[in-house]
Amino acid sequence: MVDIRLNATINGRKVSRDAKPHLRLLDFLRDDLNLTGNKEGCGAGECGTCSVFVDGVLMKSCLMPVAKAQGATVDTIESLAKSGELSVLQKAFHKAGASQCGYCIPGMVMAATAALRANPFADREEIKERLGGNICRCTGYQKIFDAVELARDVQNGRVPATALLETDTADGDVIGKSVRRIDAPSKVSGRLKYAGDMIMPGMLHVQVLRSPHAHARIVSIDTSAALAMDGVESVITAADVPGKDGFGVFVHDQPIMARDKVRYVGEAIAAVAAEDALTAKRAVAAIKVVYEQLAPVFDPDAAMRPGAPVVHDYAPDNITKHIPIRVGDVEAGFAASDLVIEESYSTQAIEHAYLEPEAGLAYVDHDDVVTVVSPSQNITHHRHMLARIIDRPISKVRFIMSPVGGGFGGKEDMIYQGMLALLAMKTMRPVRLVYTREESIISTAKRHPSRTTLRMGLMRDGRIRALAMRMVCDGGAYGLSTEGVMRKAAILAAGPYAIPNVQIDTFGIYTNNTPSGAFRSFGALQTQFATESQLDIAAERLGLDPFEIRRINAMRDGDMTHTKQKLGSVSLMRALDAAEQASGWESGAPAVRGPVRGDLGHDDVRPSVTLGTRFASSGAQEAAE
Amino acid sequence: MLICDEYLTPASLDEAFAAMERHRGRYRVVAGCTDTLPWAREGRAGDVEIPVLIDVTKIPELNERHVGDKRVRLGAATPIQRFLDDAALGRAMPAMPRCAVWFADDQIRAQATLGGNAVNASPAADATPCLEAHDAIVELASATGRRSMPLREFITGPGKTQLADGELLTGFECDAFPGYGGSFEKVGHRRSLVISVVCLAVMVKLDRDGKTIEDTRLAIAGIRPVPRRLREIEDLLRGKKLTGELLEEAADMPLDLVQSRSRQEYRRDVVRGFLVRGLIAAAKRAGASPDALTRELEAAYG
Repeated sequence: MVDIRLNATINGRKVSRDAKPHLRLLDFLRDDLNLTGNKEGCGAGECGTCSVFVDGVLMKSCLMPVAKAQGATVDTIESLAKSGELSVLQKAFHKAGASQCGYCIPGMVMAATAALRANPFADREEIKERLGGNICRCTGYQKIFDAVELARDVQNGRVPATALLETDTADGDVIGKSVRRIDAPSKVSGRLKYAGDMIMPGMLHVQVLRSPHAHARIVSIDTSAALAMDGVESVITAADVPGKDGFGVFVHDQPIMARDKVRYVGEAIAAVAAEDALTAKRAVAAIKVVYEQLAPVFDPDAAMRPGAPVVHDYAPDNITKHIPIRVGDVEAGFAASDLVIEESYSTQAIEHAYLEPEAGLAYVDHDDVVTVVSPSQNITHHRHMLARIIDRPISKVRFIMSPVGGGFGGKEDMIYQGMLALLAMKTMRPVRLVYTREESIISTAKRHPSRTTLRMGLMRDGRIRALAMRMVCDGGAYGLSTEGVMRKAAILAAGPYAIPNVQIDTFGIYTNNTPSGAFRSFGALQTQFATESQLDIAAERLGLDPFEIRRINAMRDGDMTHTKQKLGSVSLMRALDAAEQASGWESGAPAVRGPVRGDLGHDDVRPSVTLGTRFASSGAQEAAE
Repeated sequence: MLICDEYLTPASLDEAFAAMERHRGRYRVVAGCTDTLPWAREGRAGDVEIPVLIDVTKIPELNERHVGDKRVRLGAATPIQRFLDDAALGRAMPAMPRCAVWFADDQIRAQATLGGNAVNASPAADATPCLEAHDAIVELASATGRRSMPLREFITGPGKTQLADGELLTGFECDAFPGYGGSFEKVGHRRSLVISVVCLAVMVKLDRDGKTIEDTRLAIAGIRPVPRRLREIEDLLRGKKLTGELLEEAADMPLDLVQSRSRQEYRRDVVRGFLVRGLIAAAKRAGASPDALTRELEAAYG
């Protein structure tokens, strides 16, 4: 390799140093200069958290070879609050509560800085447009736009700078007040260290070999060529696990690396620790695995049929979990109903898409405590599982939860921490693994795809007499949170409605797809999508307003749920009233409206999206035309 | 991951050709890199090892800009952002600023180049239909000589061009259309950072009263292997009185434009709406008489 001698001005200081020719500007800033404020969320120019100024122009540093910065002036998020004093925009982000997980925020602050430099008077639509290259997964953007508008108004003297300060809480009473988040300054300044930002002296870099097959027996794994490479410190496989292998939120059915067979594309098979990530990557490519293909099963209904390929020997019927609920007599309920509706529904797998891809750092400390630092959403459970897997007493296993750059349920599973712990134990050096976005998508849990059949029996006046639901979910190759998801899906399936006869069955099924796991709402989405959709259909058939049919059936204070929980207070009626009012709902049965709705077009309804507001504000192009 | 042993940034065409000769068979030419780097990732090309990358964006000739009344000449390394920053350029190529604002996002268009968009030859490229509407000529150079050809001949299929081994795209020469109104219609899954499902470039020139279409240029992409000029529609509109009926007649011409692999019916609906909407927007920016188009028509396609 021919290094590049890079001369640049970075955050106001002259930098002159050699860089590997294949580095991106982002790598150079983060790895070579330890400027980790700007993050890597996707590596493909999609998310914007790597945005930095190059000669005053905002660029995505993950798309820029470092050589392009030759002679340039580069400013990262660290340049904005140089001596610790936050910029007006950073203060506004703090004040407006614009940071949640914080991982997108350095890029957002940079993009907002660029937007207000380009047009100090940009309105909300133009701010949205200029921040179009940056993705946030937590906030829904509203607070971010609020923050940019606040900063704009302070900068323009329209509101006093005191608007950026904390609401007065001198009396110690913070209830009902808009209190600034205490963790926001670290996020808006880029100073907060996520696991992928952390380094330790002597640290090794980890890369993972993943299965290209959905279902195959592992005949042999030959790691000798990888181990022989310069700079490779260790290669591990399932054979290196000293204790009882297996993790999962409910059933511990997943080995930390594939054992004897692989069950989904992307499953970890081996892991390499090397002096740098590129060497580790090349070593991974040098591992030879011989597979014997097994018949895969990709459809949960097919997996339930006799004779289907078996994913786990302990579950020959491929059922991870079946949750049945029985209340009253549904057949009698249907017989007594004026109207019975039967429909089927399906939902798809969904990726959590947190901005921070998984990352972790592990080391064995001076007291032989195996320590794993990672954005795990479930560290205590992980600690107990890992102790058994590595056969160490619980007092010698420690989990440290690094800032979670978005989780949404997707970081509840101990997908990679076991490999890190094992490599740290093997090498007695700190080891770090940082997933790529692609690796995150291929190997970690998704929302359970579902197929639901739903029968609902109703009286003419809208009362539901009986509900029978059967939902089959694709749990993928491993159990993870499937059991809990099936449970909650069943518990909440009939919704907040008083129904005398209920029959619910939810099934989580093993297949050779990517494992399904926890995801916001934890199963409620799948079943309630069916129930709520069916209520709209029922409203149409019965000539009732959709709000009305829900009010007719709503549980009230003191009612018992379908799983015999007595409800002290039920807020459903208030929620319905608020939603009806806020949406400006045009009342009536769904069928009464023609092609035009009366509740669209009022002030609170956003116009359809377009781009080009900047033309109107700058006037330059308009005038030219 | 894109891995190279050497990253070269030649300062002249001669230096570039010398490097290409020296590393024959072992190099790849790059410009903005905004497509090359995402290409070299898992799921697309994966890890790619290319011994030598030759970055042509610092070559002065590839950054030239000449804007005249009749012709515009732009170097291949012109970043897309320039169409938003350079008012004179925007006047000469009036659909291009509208295209630029839909092109990727603020950051990427500061780096992505016009030449890269053409050499990539994506069926969904945003800039190439605009260039096509300007009858762009591509200028090619190699160590042994120069040649040029119309863009529509240069792009031969998805990802395919007539660029020869050892040859560089150096620039574009386009017809200038000052006084025309321009518009660019695009739809994808979101606004920014999105690949066009359909995109349409429109330019309209009206008479002094804003009532008659003197000239118009349309080109569409995203719906077939290569961009397509809509000369049939241009011919129908040229010299006619600007009315809503005329624009709808143009949108209803039976041209069988949609030849994509997927979502054909949806795209056909979009194309019809885009034609009317794009023509309305361009005509308004060209100074259409307030009574030429009805409010109802504008509301229907707004």
